[in-house]
Amino acid sequence: MAVVEQSQPMPTLSTKQKQVGQSYWSLVWWKFRRNRVAVVGGAILLTFYISFVFLPEFISPYALQHSSDYAEAGPTPIHFVDQAGKFHLQPFVYGMEQKLDFKTRARTYVEDTTRMYPIKFFAKGDPYKLFGLIPVDIHLYGVDQKNDSQAIVLLMGADALGRDWFTRIMYGGRLSLLIGLIGQVMTILFGTVLGVISGFYGGAVDQIIQRSTEFLSTFPDIPLFMALAAAIPPFWPALTSYFMLTIILSFVRWGGLARQVRGLILSLREREYALAAKSAGASDVRVMFRHLMPGTMSHVIVIATLAIPGMILAETALSWLGLGIRAPLTSWGVLLQDAASVRAIHNTPWELWTVPFILVTILAYNMLGDGLRDALDPYGAR
Amino acid sequence: MSETLSEPLIEVKDLRVEFDVRAGIVKAVDGLTLTIQRGKTLGVIGESGCGKSMTARAILNMIPKPGRITHGKIVYHRRLQNNGQSQMDDIVELTELDPDGKVIREIRGGEIGMIFQEPMSSLTPVYTAGVHINEAVALHHLTPVRKVGDQLAEQVMAHRTVTKEEAREIAIKMLQRVGIPKPAQRVDSYPHQLSGGQRQRVMIAIALSCEPAMLIADEPTTALDVSIEAQILDIMRELQESVNMAIMFITHNLGVIASMADEIVVMYMGKAVEQAKVVDLFKDAKHPYTQALLKSIPHLGKKKVGGRLASISGMTPDPFNLPTGCVFHPRCPMFMPGKCDKIVPSWTKVGENHWVSCLLYEEV
Repeated sequence: MAVVEQSQPMPTLSTKQKQVGQSYWSLVWWKFRRNRVAVVGGAILLTFYISFVFLPEFISPYALQHSSDYAEAGPTPIHFVDQAGKFHLQPFVYGMEQKLDFKTRARTYVEDTTRMYPIKFFAKGDPYKLFGLIPVDIHLYGVDQKNDSQAIVLLMGADALGRDWFTRIMYGGRLSLLIGLIGQVMTILFGTVLGVISGFYGGAVDQIIQRSTEFLSTFPDIPLFMALAAAIPPFWPALTSYFMLTIILSFVRWGGLARQVRGLILSLREREYALAAKSAGASDVRVMFRHLMPGTMSHVIVIATLAIPGMILAETALSWLGLGIRAPLTSWGVLLQDAASVRAIHNTPWELWTVPFILVTILAYNMLGDGLRDALDPYGAR
Repeated sequence: MSETLSEPLIEVKDLRVEFDVRAGIVKAVDGLTLTIQRGKTLGVIGESGCGKSMTARAILNMIPKPGRITHGKIVYHRRLQNNGQSQMDDIVELTELDPDGKVIREIRGGEIGMIFQEPMSSLTPVYTAGVHINEAVALHHLTPVRKVGDQLAEQVMAHRTVTKEEAREIAIKMLQRVGIPKPAQRVDSYPHQLSGGQRQRVMIAIALSCEPAMLIADEPTTALDVSIEAQILDIMRELQESVNMAIMFITHNLGVIASMADEIVVMYMGKAVEQAKVVDLFKDAKHPYTQALLKSIPHLGKKKVGGRLASISGMTPDPFNLPTGCVFHPRCPMFMPGKCDKIVPSWTKVGENHWVSCLLYEEV
């Protein structure tokens, strides 16, 4: 601050100036920080997004398509103490031997205590490209497969093809978390733009937009999705249909947000600054999106944060029904579909590990959204 | 007031603004005629709801929804400054323009600026003072520090987009001109960090940043306390002299208007009842309504102690049910039965630049 240069005689004045310099967002941040629950929620989400969206290749020990001989193997037990009772600081796993029960045809795995594989951090493994650019072969953890290709560590068991379930959750999180975010961004776009237009112009435009939100909300969700998912040509690449799904999700859900934004704009447009902007020569578009829309943003942010879990759940539900993301791609919905049979629950219960990840994500979003709502509300108590 | 040469800038001719609401038609402005001279201040006074603000908004072609201009025209003598020495006047009829069109948007803010009554709410809360000024500048593609007389520089600078640094400089300079202390710091202040007086100064800075030919001030000091009011009025007077700008000053404060205006129009129920030079109006008011208004302000040392201030008897009439003849007749102390309630008075000249609409001065 340039306080020193002006040689203020009173020190109290300089502290006052600092207070004056507080912007709205720094006040919001200050208020948000005091809400422990919200901070925890935010931290969880930040960790999830960084690790699932940007770093799943690094955190998971194997490549997504890395299949092994250990089909439907349970989680590998991790040991610190060996057969001789000796304590190892570095955890290790034993090799696994497949046993086939000839009566039931069930596969079981028993530990072969003669083979010991220490779990290494920053172990070398399957090569991949970090951020899709830098070629690397170092993973966060893993066992050395160079000497013995039988060595494997399955933190959360394996699926029917012997793929590491933890790896699949990591990669699945990428799509599931992104679809929530991308879908929400599009919902915000549709909802705010149409809401602002509807509230600003009123009259016939308002009628058309409001009636279409009502029309859209009369559709039952699942049959609509089924119809729309059927409309996507099956020969489209999996990723394209994934984006189509995102668009469908946001197209159906913009109505609620549009109504709330409209309500806010109805009150904001009567403020004198809308008139002042117009009298300064601003066009309608400029008044709407530059002067009025920012006034709705804090509300939109909160609504969006609280609505993202709905998007994630919708993706999960649709994929589970087989309408959303399909098999070659991995999402949490696809993983749930794998686990959705009595047989799977009985034989491979570790496949339900997906559920806590979904639960924690959604809980974290709600915690964050609640905190944001309190922090962004300038008239809130506390 | 040494200039005797008067050039009309805005001529409002028989303007009628009507609001078609469910209960009937409200005539917000009913046959108003007035002229604003270039570089002069026209004061408009009247009670709340007499159509002062609607006239101002009609000039900018910004009548709100159910209302519309049903009759009359507003002629704007637009001065194009493009070709250096020879200034050309172009006559634009403001009421004929598309209210969302390009021409009216160029005129709004660029050539006719406006400031409002509530400085608290007339700045967008999410933008700093500097951003507001820059927007006004950007909208009209001008670098606002055009030096008068420096025609060459003016030609070079017009229609050039300003860089970020330049825009900031301009904003700081404007804030300095309207007397905001520490403009270099204040330029980054948000509206909520400014006091009421400072906000009104920022509003003036925005309006002046494009050097308009006219400024419409719609009760600019009503929401401010008296000492700040005096400062704001001083600034407006100073700036008016430096840029030769006309001001349409709307108020209901007779004291303020006496110190600001060259000419005054008194309005009652959407009509002009009297128009005169300031001195003439205060010394020799003709219309009974103006006389009553002047009697209702306290005079220092004039009244005896304990005496009551005069008030205008009766109430403003129901806008859906206006009285016949002269609209003021039910409250008029000079009511002439059989005349005032039958005949609508016409705009009569009673002296040099002194017009009145009253049957007392008319031969009927």
